[in-house]
Amino acid sequence: MAAGTNKPLLSVRDLVVEFETDQGVLRAVDGVSFDIHAGETLGLVGESGCGKTVTGLSILGLVPSPPGRIVSGRILLEGSDLAGMDEVGLRKIRGSKVSMIFQEPMTALNPVFRIGNQMRDVLQRHQGLTRLQAHSAAIEILAKVGIPEPAVRVEDYPHQLSGGMRQRVMIAMALSCGPKLLVADEPTTALDVTTQAQVLEQIVRLQQEFGMAMLLVTHDLGVVAETCRHAVVMYCGRIVESSSIDELFARPRHPYTTGLLASIPRATEERGDELPVIPGMVPDLLHLPRGCAFADRCPKAHERCRQSVPHLDLLQSTRTSVACYEPNA
Amino acid sequence: MEVLQYIVRKLIAGIPLVLGVTLISFVLIVYFGPDKTYELLGKNPTAEEIAEIRSQLGYDQPFTTRYLDYLREVIRLEFGNSESTDEKVSSILARTIPTSLALAIPGFILGNLLGVMLALVAAYFRGYWIDKFIMGFAAVGMSISFLIAIIGFQILLSSSDGLDLLPVRGWDTSTPLQYIRYVTVPTLATVFVALGYNTRFYRAVIVEEMTRDHVRTARAFGVPPAQLFYRNILKNSMIPIVTRIMFSIPVIVISGSLLLESYFGIPGVGKVTYDAIVTGDQPILKAVVVLTAVLFVVAQLLADICYRIVDPRVSLK
Repeated sequence: MAAGTNKPLLSVRDLVVEFETDQGVLRAVDGVSFDIHAGETLGLVGESGCGKTVTGLSILGLVPSPPGRIVSGRILLEGSDLAGMDEVGLRKIRGSKVSMIFQEPMTALNPVFRIGNQMRDVLQRHQGLTRLQAHSAAIEILAKVGIPEPAVRVEDYPHQLSGGMRQRVMIAMALSCGPKLLVADEPTTALDVTTQAQVLEQIVRLQQEFGMAMLLVTHDLGVVAETCRHAVVMYCGRIVESSSIDELFARPRHPYTTGLLASIPRATEERGDELPVIPGMVPDLLHLPRGCAFADRCPKAHERCRQSVPHLDLLQSTRTSVACYEPNA
Repeated sequence: MEVLQYIVRKLIAGIPLVLGVTLISFVLIVYFGPDKTYELLGKNPTAEEIAEIRSQLGYDQPFTTRYLDYLREVIRLEFGNSESTDEKVSSILARTIPTSLALAIPGFILGNLLGVMLALVAAYFRGYWIDKFIMGFAAVGMSISFLIAIIGFQILLSSSDGLDLLPVRGWDTSTPLQYIRYVTVPTLATVFVALGYNTRFYRAVIVEEMTRDHVRTARAFGVPPAQLFYRNILKNSMIPIVTRIMFSIPVIVISGSLLLESYFGIPGVGKVTYDAIVTGDQPILKAVVVLTAVLFVVAQLLADICYRIVDPRVSLK
């Protein structure tokens, strides 16, 4: 991962999250491990349903329970295990040491309170500020995320703001207590394309300014390329490839990553050319095959792939890990 | 000012509803209601006698004239005198409505307050035994007939087989203590039955609100459960809760008191209405019909104004 021998800020080890469903137990996250160092951005990439959002929620203990629960694994934040922590302990960390922003800015804020009220609430709880101090701190941070006339906007209700503005308010709220880690779950997906770029740029700029680490959960490889130095690719609850961005785009090792990259539309392609797609469907998480979950869609799959699950191993003489018996050279 | 304009506009918009209700009920009363002619005549009346009585009663007038007369009564809130007691209808109502309110209000408030509280507890512990216990209790409340609930509480509290503490029936508001003694059994029965429906409804509303994104956001920012329930869940559930409360007002005042008052012999508007139906006392029935319609319009208006108070997204336009 990132250079340096110091301990990572966040270290997720063998995380397993399961959901009880009517049809049986569904394993949404299966043995996921990764590290994030202070100030670093890690991209967590995959299709919908691959377990990336659940992984993000697990860090803050927000997996909806019931039906979900963290079965095993550790989530170490500066040495203390968040996976085993009780609600009271987690509450002190949520919004202060670790913040989260969500995909849906339209519904993520409480519609019946002014945004200033909601921001003050976080600041007063975690920073012990008085109401007045919290109010000016809220205005200050709103200005930082690029909200025009923050002293006026702070008195607005969420419905009086556009989607992009609401997401900025969410970001402001998330950064207000100076967190060490920001979990951003598809922060720009719900926004329109022009706003997307602005908001993303804002997040990266503020991340550098605040010197915080970020876990960027997204399905958008373009976003990952712009913001991260390292990325983890998930498929059916497992990590299939973990690599630096340059390596990932230049030499994808896992056939799934290759397929993902090939299916990004490129401006250089001839109009009318068919976009390559990965054949087949994502398997049902309730009925995963015995071996590699990608085997049925993989052009290189052979008997061993169908028999046992490949481990995530570091490739020799690289910093890339891949869970495949036949990694690309 | 905005609110005042809105109230006026809404009241005007309520006029067609009141007109519609009065028209339909008037048709029913005129064509299917009791005909007083033969009650007032002796045996073997002549055609002239019949015609005379009918013109005294106003039955010979054309329908439109009779309906317009009725509307004139409605506007003046003057419905004539009761046919059975000859007391002025307006003074009967002025005497009985306070009694009905005194009877209905405690059960109404308790039924909703306890309903919301139990629903919050059930929703918070959903899936656990306490949720199952509350919902089981609610199902019992819903399945037991109102009358059985009344009799059950009477046996428990008013009979020599039970605690024998309270009067079986009747009404007395001379002192607060007497009032409490008489109002308790009807209130308990009302609350018991209302809780069944209220708790189920409110629990569903609250559980739905618990799954909203903003609740997850609040949790992600370390909001403790009590605050989460108040600021995120209860505040955002207020629209359906207010709707249910407001629209249950006319139902409770009219149909609730009809059964309760006639059963307990309480001299409220429900008892008067019941007696008027039985004896065919048209002036009283006409007045009650109009009042009910007006009550619906007012409840709707109050609900709309409450929406504005509980949800900033609602505008009174």
